[in-house]
Amino acid sequence: MSIKLKALLKSPWVFHLSTGSCNNCDIEILDCLTPRFDVERFGMVLAGSIRHADVLLCTGSVNRKCIPRIKKIYEDAPKPILVVAVGECSLSRGLFIHSYNCPVPLDKIIPVDVYIPGCPPKPEAIIAGVVKAIEKIKANIKNNKQMKK
Amino acid sequence: MNREEILNNIKDRFKDCIKNFVDKSPKRIYIDIEPKCLRDVVCYVFKDLQARFNTASGIHTRVGFEILYHFSFDNLGLIISLRVKLETDKARIDSITPIIKGAEWIEREMHELLGIDFVGHPNLKRLLLAEDWPEGVYPLRADYKEWDKNSIRDRGVKE
Repeated sequence: MSIKLKALLKSPWVFHLSTGSCNNCDIEILDCLTPRFDVERFGMVLAGSIRHADVLLCTGSVNRKCIPRIKKIYEDAPKPILVVAVGECSLSRGLFIHSYNCPVPLDKIIPVDVYIPGCPPKPEAIIAGVVKAIEKIKANIKNNKQMKK
Repeated sequence: MNREEILNNIKDRFKDCIKNFVDKSPKRIYIDIEPKCLRDVVCYVFKDLQARFNTASGIHTRVGFEILYHFSFDNLGLIISLRVKLETDKARIDSITPIIKGAEWIEREMHELLGIDFVGHPNLKRLLLAEDWPEGVYPLRADYKEWDKNSIRDRGVKE
C-alpha cells in the first residue's frame, strides 16, 4: 500500500459539495459530524477546500449552472479522490427528473464510486456508505497484491 | 385608515380600471385591473396608501399570462393582490420598477422564465438561467418543449 493511499484510508478528509439540493441531505451530513453520530472516530473531517480533500461528497440534483463548476472542482481535486453521491437527487435526480434545469444525473458528469440512496439518507446510512467505500478500496489493494504474487 | 376606507378609496379612484373586485376573505383581496392603468394603481397603493410591496408572481395558463402584484398592509394584516391578464402573443406590460425599486429582480425573473416584456425596465436581462440556455425558450410557459438533445429523462432501468 502506498503511503498516500494509506493516509487517505486512515483519515479521509471530506469536501462537501451541494449541487442544488434542498438542503435536507446537507443537514443529515452535518448531523454525522455531531457527537451523537461522531463520524470523526473514522478520521473523517470536513475540509474547507477541495485541494485538501480525499472524498468529494455530492448532494443535490445537478443543475445546469452547476455542471461546469462540478467539473472544475473534480479537476482541482488531488487524485486519488473518492466521489460519494448522497441522496436520491444525486443518484437519479429524484422527482426533478423531468425538470428543464436538471438535464443529466451526476454519474454522467463525473465518475461516482459510492451511491447512498434515501431522501434524505439517515446519518447511519451515510457513515455506512463511506466506511464500505474505504473497505472496498482496501480489499481491491489486497487483491491486486495477491494477483501480482 | 382602516380596511373599508382603503377599499373605498381604491374603488372610487379607479372606477374605469377595475374589471373585477374579489373580496376573498378578511385578510385577502384580489383586484382585476386593466394592464394600461397598472402604473397608476401601483403608484397610488404604494406611495399614497403606504402599502408594502411583497412580490409579484406570474403564471401561464391556457388563456394567457396572469401577473399578480402582492401588496400588504402590515398594521391591518391585509394583503391586496392586483391581478393583470395578458394574451400569450401580446406579452407586454409596463414595468413598475421606476416606482418600486424592489420589483427589479422579480420582473427580470418573469422576463426570462415566462417571456413577458416589461416596458420601461432599466436593466432587463437574464437573472437565473444558465449561460448556455438558448434565446427565446421560456421554461415556465405551458407549451414548453425539451430542447436539449443530450438530456437523459429515464433512470437507466429497462423494463
